[in-house]
Amino acid sequence: MAITLFKNPALNDPVLIASWPGIGSIGTVAVDALRRSLEAEEFGGIEPWEFFYPKKVLIRSGVLEDIEFPSSRFYYKKMAKRDLMLFLGEEQPSDGGRAYAAGEKAYRMANLVLDVAQQFGCRRVYTSGAAVAAVHHTARPRVWAVPNSEHLIDEISDYDNTILMSDIEGRGGQGSITGLNGLLLGVAKMRSLEAICLMGEIPIYLQGLPFPYPKASKSVAEVLAKTLGLDIDWEAISAIVEASEKEIEKLYAVFPAEIKEQLDKLREASRPQSADPGPITEEDKRRILEDIDKLFGRESKED
Amino acid sequence: MREEDYRIHGQLGEAPTTMVVTWCDDAGGLGDNVAQQLVAQLGCEEVGEIEVVNFFALGGVSVENDVAQFPEGKFYASPQRQIVVVKSDPPVSEWYAFLNVILDVAERHCSVKELYTIGGMVSMSAHTTPRQLLAMAGSTEFKKVLSQYGITRDMDYETPDGQRPTLNSFLLWLAKQRGIPAAGLWVPVPFYMVNGEDPKAWRKVLEFLDTRLGLGLDFSDIDEQAKSQGERIAQALARAPDLQESVQRLETNLMISQEDSERLVAEMEKLFRQRG
Repeated sequence: MAITLFKNPALNDPVLIASWPGIGSIGTVAVDALRRSLEAEEFGGIEPWEFFYPKKVLIRSGVLEDIEFPSSRFYYKKMAKRDLMLFLGEEQPSDGGRAYAAGEKAYRMANLVLDVAQQFGCRRVYTSGAAVAAVHHTARPRVWAVPNSEHLIDEISDYDNTILMSDIEGRGGQGSITGLNGLLLGVAKMRSLEAICLMGEIPIYLQGLPFPYPKASKSVAEVLAKTLGLDIDWEAISAIVEASEKEIEKLYAVFPAEIKEQLDKLREASRPQSADPGPITEEDKRRILEDIDKLFGRESKED
Repeated sequence: MREEDYRIHGQLGEAPTTMVVTWCDDAGGLGDNVAQQLVAQLGCEEVGEIEVVNFFALGGVSVENDVAQFPEGKFYASPQRQIVVVKSDPPVSEWYAFLNVILDVAERHCSVKELYTIGGMVSMSAHTTPRQLLAMAGSTEFKKVLSQYGITRDMDYETPDGQRPTLNSFLLWLAKQRGIPAAGLWVPVPFYMVNGEDPKAWRKVLEFLDTRLGLGLDFSDIDEQAKSQGERIAQALARAPDLQESVQRLETNLMISQEDSERLVAEMEKLFRQRG
């Protein structure tokens, strides 16, 4: 029940990289970029109907032909050393219109994904999502990493362009990861599987916008490629990043001067050896968010 | 399916049955009133219910028209007339399980031979425009059966991005998976009557069911309501010539501005809220 596998590939000590949609589609765009570049092959999925409301009805000549549901698909790629399993969820299962999975359905979904992973001998899991940060969009997004076991911290410290929660000022190593990209870490821990969530930084002022932030996805994909020794063709995602940068610059250009003044503080702070523009205080962050919310006519909210 | 999701406590009858599924929050009060008319006129009795705690958020009650509301999902049956009416609020979660409860009851307790869903859809039309009944069948075979009533169309459609299919479409799809002959019955409801009542729309659905199932329904009450509502709207429009003009434009298939639409909706809702 609930899992359909139409191939049974023999995989060697595979690593699973899983992602569901979240802020800026950072995780899903990253995993999808790897999938495309590696030409990973689909081998199964999770049956959707108990998890999702349908996304599309198809009517042909006045007859209801079919209904489509959000997909939850598994892919694999044979590699020289450890093989790769990828999982991409098109939606997070939710009750009553919440954007992020929670409760029984989320727990069941996480367990089903790990059931398949373990069936193929997987012992290491990566998930991916977004880290909303006081950074500027011109800066290279860093990757925040959260492991589900203390013994993985040393390994993460060697990853390029990657930081731990404790490296972020004011956090004291604390935080939370909403939805399935976080929950999978916990369920993996219950099963004694190693798991690490990699979160690409997205500027706080872009977090609520209804388009992806591929620059952070590329940062995440780069960390995964280097860590797992994946040979990736970066041309396609780089082109997407470039197009996205142009759109963001256009948007930035129409920001009111007082908002830009706040955001430029983030730009200066992102430069390694810039003249000190003054510290970005919590008050600055609050004002930036309020100004951005005002600009887009949104209610101010905490992440 | 979990047995605890529903309770049957009355007689549904063993003969092949028609099931009519209605939703309480439907446009123009369509689902509610079609169900009420069928239950009242056919002498249907409540025979079962869906366990609401499994499908609705029960964090309190909503208040509508001064009265506290509580979600319900009930089955009414008239074994002699071989009809089962489902009258339910749309669930807020576990849609797949909820719709399968309806189909389980249809298959296990009613020997269902046909299933109809009822739905009103928002239309940029005037209240004076004659209502149409449209059917979307779950299979080519059932479309053929319904085509003799002139309610089928050779329509192609895909849900646009950013929108979701209706609960009725989901139910029809599940019925199709089980091989149950099913169809969705749709009536376009003028946009400014969506939050009110549209007796002309109720009549279209009931007329079809009456003909198809030989129910012998009496339409005099509905006709009286439609007449009285028409008179009240006419009086209101006579006091507001600009609204009258908007309605006239709609009657001739001309568009009206967003501002005029909103004003028409606001005025009509004020009118519908006046009791009596």
